[in-house]
Amino acid sequence: MINNKALLAEVATNRFGLGARPGELKEASDDPRSWLISQLEQPQFTPGLPNLDTASKALMAHREAKKQAKAQQKANATAANATKTQAVNKSTKFKNSVNKVFRSLIHDGIHQSIVSEQSFSWRLLEFFSNHFSVSTANRSMVAVAPLLEKEALAPNLFGQFEDMLIAATQHPAMLLYLNNEKSFGPDSRLGRRMGFNENLAREILELHTLGVDGGYNQQDVHELALAITGWSITNPKTSQELDFVFRDPGHQPGARTILGKRYADGDVSQAENILRDLARHPSTAKHVSFKLAQYIVSDSPPDTVVNAMTAKWLATDGNLREVITEMITHDAAWQFDQQKLKTPREFIVSVFRAYGENSLPNNLLINSLTELGQRPFNAGSPAGYSQVANGWDGADALMARIDWSAKISSRIKGDPLKISQQALGSQLTSTTATAIKRAESREQALALLFMSPEFQRR
Amino acid sequence: MHRRELLKYMGASLVMWHSQLPLASEQRHPKLIWILLRGGMDSLHAVIPAFDNNLVKQRKNLLKGILDNGLPIDDGFLLHPELKHLHQWYRQGQFLPIVAVGPQVNTRSHFKAQDILESGMYPIDHDSGWLNRATTAYQGQALAVAHSVPIGLRGNGQVSSWFPSKLPNAEADLYTRLLSLYETDPQLQERLQQALDTREKLNDKMGARIRNRFSDLTTACAKLMAEPTGPDCAMLEFGGWDTHNRQAPRLNQQFKELDNGLQNLRQTLANTWNDTTVIITTEFGRTVAENGTQGTDHGTATAVLLAGGAIDGGKVLGDWPGLAKKDLYEGRDLMPTSTMQEWMGAVVSQHWQLTTKQLATVFPNTNIRSNQIIKTKIA
Repeated sequence: MINNKALLAEVATNRFGLGARPGELKEASDDPRSWLISQLEQPQFTPGLPNLDTASKALMAHREAKKQAKAQQKANATAANATKTQAVNKSTKFKNSVNKVFRSLIHDGIHQSIVSEQSFSWRLLEFFSNHFSVSTANRSMVAVAPLLEKEALAPNLFGQFEDMLIAATQHPAMLLYLNNEKSFGPDSRLGRRMGFNENLAREILELHTLGVDGGYNQQDVHELALAITGWSITNPKTSQELDFVFRDPGHQPGARTILGKRYADGDVSQAENILRDLARHPSTAKHVSFKLAQYIVSDSPPDTVVNAMTAKWLATDGNLREVITEMITHDAAWQFDQQKLKTPREFIVSVFRAYGENSLPNNLLINSLTELGQRPFNAGSPAGYSQVANGWDGADALMARIDWSAKISSRIKGDPLKISQQALGSQLTSTTATAIKRAESREQALALLFMSPEFQRR
Repeated sequence: MHRRELLKYMGASLVMWHSQLPLASEQRHPKLIWILLRGGMDSLHAVIPAFDNNLVKQRKNLLKGILDNGLPIDDGFLLHPELKHLHQWYRQGQFLPIVAVGPQVNTRSHFKAQDILESGMYPIDHDSGWLNRATTAYQGQALAVAHSVPIGLRGNGQVSSWFPSKLPNAEADLYTRLLSLYETDPQLQERLQQALDTREKLNDKMGARIRNRFSDLTTACAKLMAEPTGPDCAMLEFGGWDTHNRQAPRLNQQFKELDNGLQNLRQTLANTWNDTTVIITTEFGRTVAENGTQGTDHGTATAVLLAGGAIDGGKVLGDWPGLAKKDLYEGRDLMPTSTMQEWMGAVVSQHWQLTTKQLATVFPNTNIRSNQIIKTKIA
């Protein structure tokens, strides 16, 4: 077992965590592994933030105002433009309130990961948020996308994967994003008028559970798609609160067979049983363990680590706390070489952690991520953003980081060399330290620190 | 400090674009542009087999208003009404659709299908893209219009990336200092040098801020390519084709943007267009039948669209398999009668005059098509 505690603390804070805040290297150095394990508690968002109820109200108001604007536009086609403008303004106002829900939720998530003493757990939440990626393709998705990680993922982050899988699949954001809310069984009562599609089912098998080579075929996709028919959302026209609802009249009757196993005819429990089995399947254990290790440790994670995590998954039916703890306990995950370039989000968060930032204006974080190419909930694909470094290590991406660092450094007070030492410990090279000392301004010194190889890699 | 002074100051050549190498044919500077439509573009909605009654039967809602306004080309096919420029180009012999083309390996996974298409090899090599291997064989330069280099352009060949940014530039002195700080990190150093060089070229050319709509990206891409020492090829990505619902209105928008983007490309390239080939591909096609949410699900065969002044177009290529139930792949998808690689190989080999041996490094184990695709005489 590796035993240089100062070095281990640097790996614990800068590779597993989101970067050391002032004083954190010292805290972690007593017992770096236990320090990490003690962080495995549900990450907490600020209480009182928008929820599905607020989101649906904002959406309803927006739809209503839009309808009015349209009606008035028609009625006033020849009349003076005054009322028309009024109605359009009203519609814009509600559109902005939907945006506000979106921005406040995203800001809070990133803000928490900057100030948190358990940044490792926020990083894990970010992993699963990307694993169950949803994008803001339209106005409804803008309001609900950020709620998925908060409501379905965070509460299950250190529990059984099957509970997380079911919560994510039943969340309105996922049902809307992958078009399942109107997918009804061809032989069901509703299905005679309305349709059926296999979008969500395919991504559950390919992305969320077994993995593309996980041993399923087109027939399995089709059967799972039938099993989740009727997994829908409340009608936004009649119900204020947006929520999951099982529409029995839209559920395809009959037993389903998936991966050779038969699931008797049933209500919502039919597909829940299927999802539980999928969550415990060896292919899922391997697929998700590999992805986790790749995300946290390196682009080519050591087999020993992945195999141990997979074995733990199978032994515990997918208990995430156990699987993550298994990863932490392996020496191979603690190699001192800094290799993987931080993602845009990891980079931004680590900059603000480095000097102990506690409050940032509301739009700064989301705008920063947009500028660096990974706006939250905007991957545009259910596979999420790439999690290997060549997804963000391009020439243009590097240039954006430099320009961003130069801009942001002007906000920061404090001695650049001290900040460097607090953030990097012995990872700070003498070359970088010299460059910082010789910089022509504080801003330049900080930009050099943030753009140095040892700060960029983890 | 201005970038030119910075170059002097560095005392080192940061110029990554080559001074044009002597080529086999004396005056030609053939340009190749690859546009990847991510999400599975429905070819039956783009190059519409209006002659096939099975299509009409299977797509009662989707085809409303489209058949009547479709733009006729040969063999009974119609182009989607929004593909106006492409229709003109077809008449000018500068557009060539190839129908019923499948992926190298049939899969209905977006991500696997895209990876195979970009890598051009199966098993997939995520660090080696077909266009990079082609660029290497041609000894050329490539540009990725993206923040980071996608699989299709990854590899040993010379590639830079560029994407519009809203951030103000840092002072040039910071870049200089970072270049020297990156002595210990060759990857970061190389990336920074590439980025500085691309920025200089674009700053010289583009006055106004560039937005990241597809039709704006094509304009910027064309400006970079039309430079005397500009890149020989570029890759652009355009998403939003996964139309499981509301396909008709969504594709109206998508095709319009695609068509406008291509027109911008042509206008901006000006004379360079005459020796340009544009390859437009997507990872797979979609189900023949519409689904229950006014869309289509993942399918198999799709179309490869070729455009450009160098294209010997004005014809439809590819064997049409028919849309009767018995003729479909697994009873639901358009049956592939060729693969994308067979055609892309033909384009790149004719356009860049690659040898058989070079071509085998680009698309290994592929029977390259022998059809005439590139004009024998470039205007």
